[in-house]
Amino acid sequence: MMLPAAVLKRAAPVLACIGLLAIWQAAALVLKNDSFPTAIEAIRAIPDILGDKESLVNILASLRRMAMGFGVAVLFSIPLGLLMGRSRAVAAFFNPLLMVIYPVPKAALMPIIMLWLGVGDITKTLVIFLGVSLPVIYHSFEGAKAVEEKMLWSGAAMGLSPLQRLVRIVLPAALPEILTGCRTGLVLALITMITSEMIARQSGAGNILFNALDMGQYDTVFAMIIVVGAMGICLDAIFERIRARLVRWSEPQFDMPLSFS
Amino acid sequence: MKVVPSRSSEWVRPVTSQKPASAIIEIDRVSQVFQTSARKDHLALSDISLTIEEGAFVSILGPSGCGKSTLLYIVGGFVSPTSGVAKIKGQAITGPGPDRGPVFQEFALFPWKTVLGNVMYGPRQQGVRAAEADAQSRALIEMVGLKGYENFYPKELSGGMKQRVALARTLAYHPEVLLMDEPFGALDAHTRTRLQNDLLNIWERDRKTVLFVTHSVDEAVFLSDKVVMMSKSPGRIRQVIDIDLPRPRRRNELLLDPRYQKYVVDIERMFDESDEAGAPS
Repeated sequence: MMLPAAVLKRAAPVLACIGLLAIWQAAALVLKNDSFPTAIEAIRAIPDILGDKESLVNILASLRRMAMGFGVAVLFSIPLGLLMGRSRAVAAFFNPLLMVIYPVPKAALMPIIMLWLGVGDITKTLVIFLGVSLPVIYHSFEGAKAVEEKMLWSGAAMGLSPLQRLVRIVLPAALPEILTGCRTGLVLALITMITSEMIARQSGAGNILFNALDMGQYDTVFAMIIVVGAMGICLDAIFERIRARLVRWSEPQFDMPLSFS
Repeated sequence: MKVVPSRSSEWVRPVTSQKPASAIIEIDRVSQVFQTSARKDHLALSDISLTIEEGAFVSILGPSGCGKSTLLYIVGGFVSPTSGVAKIKGQAITGPGPDRGPVFQEFALFPWKTVLGNVMYGPRQQGVRAAEADAQSRALIEMVGLKGYENFYPKELSGGMKQRVALARTLAYHPEVLLMDEPFGALDAHTRTRLQNDLLNIWERDRKTVLFVTHSVDEAVFLSDKVVMMSKSPGRIRQVIDIDLPRPRRRNELLLDPRYQKYVVDIERMFDESDEAGAPS
């Protein structure tokens, strides 16, 4: 038997979505602007996009680039961040470099990268890679720095070599922090993916969006925004599931009580 | 700052190097300097020489900041001394090794491993087969009184239970020397007493060499064969006292034993004297 409060908690995200769409619908009906379709019109346009083979190919190409950029960034950034967290010399070398790169919007580098590498997959993937790397490096660094010295000593006494300690103690101990960085990185990957496709327009979800805008198909524009948003929510939810499973050992033991009974 | 010369009592022997054949750890004129700031050095340990016999339970007792933990870390190989040398079985200590098993005040368990996973970690690292390591570890977990908690994660355990796991984890890879760094310092008085009793019971079975750092006089006298009293700034050995009390020791008997009481009172008095003499004006 589910308590009313539990039902409410489950239904809350759905209710929030419905509420948002209702406000949109009302606003569009009041404003009666050509460039502001109603929510229902936008939702009706979604099957057209998803049913169109070319659009689907474009969206899949976007996702492929995103997965590629995100994957390579994670594989590169976690070891670097961990090394920085455990070695003063490595940190001293990379810290200033990262400090310079950090505040630069990665999309601002697009023109230069396009000039060098063209407008194809490599450029876009590289920009996604840059966008994802920094939060993952930063969180891996912080996580590795916080690992208790005595935990490493315990490992050393058992005969673990420095490399084994990095992989088998620092990595798992820093995992909750690393995954927090990866979650931020995942959202950033989606953002840089769309941005890169808006700048280097050739294919992808961002390109569909801007093409529709050029042709005045505003319902498609808004439908595409919904599709991209839904992609973000789904990816984040899937990632959160995986994250929660991997670091179950570090989560607080009990959830907040759902009711006062 | 001068260290007050010790008063002699009938059971107090000076530290001067007597080297029995069964010495397992030898600390030879070890000094440790920490750089606290660019211009200031702090002499944490000054010219420490100490021999520990195989199978002895030796406590290092002293006020906080006397370098007693640093001395333990040097024996563990976690810290290299600025000068002097520490040896195990005649070999100079250059780094940590499975012959010396640490147990820390902070427990330092692997939080992503269960109780069983933590205890099995050492044997698995040493190449013991999984089934064998599993069986041995379960037996050890039972010995430290945690049967039924094998699949719990450290965050689900109390402080006392965590320290029991840490002890089992270290015993699991059969170190020749246990290095215990104020292991019960973070526990409440009741839990502390129970762990002291249990540690003695476990120790009296196989008589491993134990180096035990503490600032509690009662704890040191209750557990040890030998108490190394240290003084502060710089960290020096003041006195080495043999605790000549019968074993197996039972807490309820010992607390009433006038010899136990005399050890405690005399050691406390010596610390008080050195505090007064050494206190900065």
